[in-house]
Amino acid sequence: MASRWTRLVLVSLILLGLQTTLLNDMRPFGVMIPVMLLFAVSAGTIYGSEIGAISGLIIGVMYDCVLSTPLGLASLVFGLAAYTAGLLPFFVREPTWWTRVITIGTVGALGEMAFPLAQSMVGFGGRFQPHVVAVVAFVVVAGMIVAPLLLPVCRWTLKESLVG
Amino acid sequence: MALLVLTSIILVTLDLQGSAATKSLRSIFGAVFRPVESVARVVTRPATNAWYGITHYNDVTAENELLREKIAQQEGATVAAAASVRLSQELLALNGLPTLAGINSVSAQVIGDSPSNFVQSVEIDQGTESGIKVGMPVLNAAGLVGKVTQVFANRAVVMLITDPQYALSVKIINAPKTSVTTVPNQDPASTVTIVSVPVTIDPLITVPTVPATSNIAGFTPGSIVAPRTPIISSSLTIPPGSNVSVRETGILEGRGAGRVPTVRFVDAAQRFGVVQPGSPIVTAGGSLSLAPPDIVVGTVSRVKERLGTAGPLLEIDIVADLSNLSFVRILLYQPITERTAP
Repeated sequence: MASRWTRLVLVSLILLGLQTTLLNDMRPFGVMIPVMLLFAVSAGTIYGSEIGAISGLIIGVMYDCVLSTPLGLASLVFGLAAYTAGLLPFFVREPTWWTRVITIGTVGALGEMAFPLAQSMVGFGGRFQPHVVAVVAFVVVAGMIVAPLLLPVCRWTLKESLVG
Repeated sequence: MALLVLTSIILVTLDLQGSAATKSLRSIFGAVFRPVESVARVVTRPATNAWYGITHYNDVTAENELLREKIAQQEGATVAAAASVRLSQELLALNGLPTLAGINSVSAQVIGDSPSNFVQSVEIDQGTESGIKVGMPVLNAAGLVGKVTQVFANRAVVMLITDPQYALSVKIINAPKTSVTTVPNQDPASTVTIVSVPVTIDPLITVPTVPATSNIAGFTPGSIVAPRTPIISSSLTIPPGSNVSVRETGILEGRGAGRVPTVRFVDAAQRFGVVQPGSPIVTAGGSLSLAPPDIVVGTVSRVKERLGTAGPLLEIDIVADLSNLSFVRILLYQPITERTAP
């Protein structure tokens, strides 16, 4: 039985394939659904901050490899977003499926907003524009729609096994 | 948490320093991910096509009609333009000046867009094995598309000219200001009219030799200028030397998705005059520029006047359609300052 991290890499590869093809072409209102980021955030909401941060780091590095921005930038943002999402139990005692969905949408949007901000911090300025507001608003809604699909996938991917 | 931040910062630092390790990581990941992406593209193609069918049907129909009309217009213009280009290249070659025709190029297919809401780039299927290097200019049939920013063995990443990180020195070709001066002669029966260029002034009429038009102001392919009537008994026309378009340089900068690039640092010199919307923009070239001179970039769509000595800010309509890139051409051009001895 494969370890949870092996499964994470394989599932993330498939999601990255969808991200760079289908979701990259299908852009409602000109905005792409950041499924990789939402998947990392899902990991945080289900398995907590620590697992979320590691998952975010791994997913982020994979995403970084297909972007032209510096390697490590997406991993930082994804890791922080997943870690933040993992703090949900501190605010909601027993998270239900819909509180997780709201968290994924909200934290996903924050992570998407943080990405151009992080780029600006390493010298890739000019990307924090009014367009970001539209992107963030869209990601909140899209995140909540996609979250019910991502949650079971994420739960299966990162479930504890004898090896992992 | 601290470990995550530390790892990420180390990765960012290594990559910004141009570390070979991060390049290798990207390269290996690219080799692993490419088959996955190809499978995903094949599997999701029906869904993508359905999406385009739903969202773009009306646009495609309207665009099709518009393109048919444009093709009819441009068939005539092409003949005249080809003749002009050939003449220009002959003149440049005769004077020992570089031309685009003398630069080797590689054709490539666009195999992917940037999967991000903030980065404007595309990926092409040619790399170092075809002689492509970082910084080389990328064109399509219409004009400049961008520049190569990352290159691997069999693929490369092209930053589009709409990306906020993109900057390039360009020339704005402005037609000189029209002025008509009438000097009354002693003999009331005859007046001397001094007509300065361009050709759109009242006493002159433009007679196209072919039914062709151009979107670029001041450029009417295949047209001649002839006096409307011989009513002016004696006219003095400034010789054609003053009919040369005036050029001024500026910096073109991308502004991100959905926003047109701008040109700034345009010196509003007296001879240059007021920049007219529709004026063509071409690359400036030079020993430090990553692109050779005279690649068509676009036309001025709007002129924003600014206070002080900042000069006007020009908004640009790019001639290349960056939303539908399929095939591009990479000019294997490097400025003199970038060339290394073999």
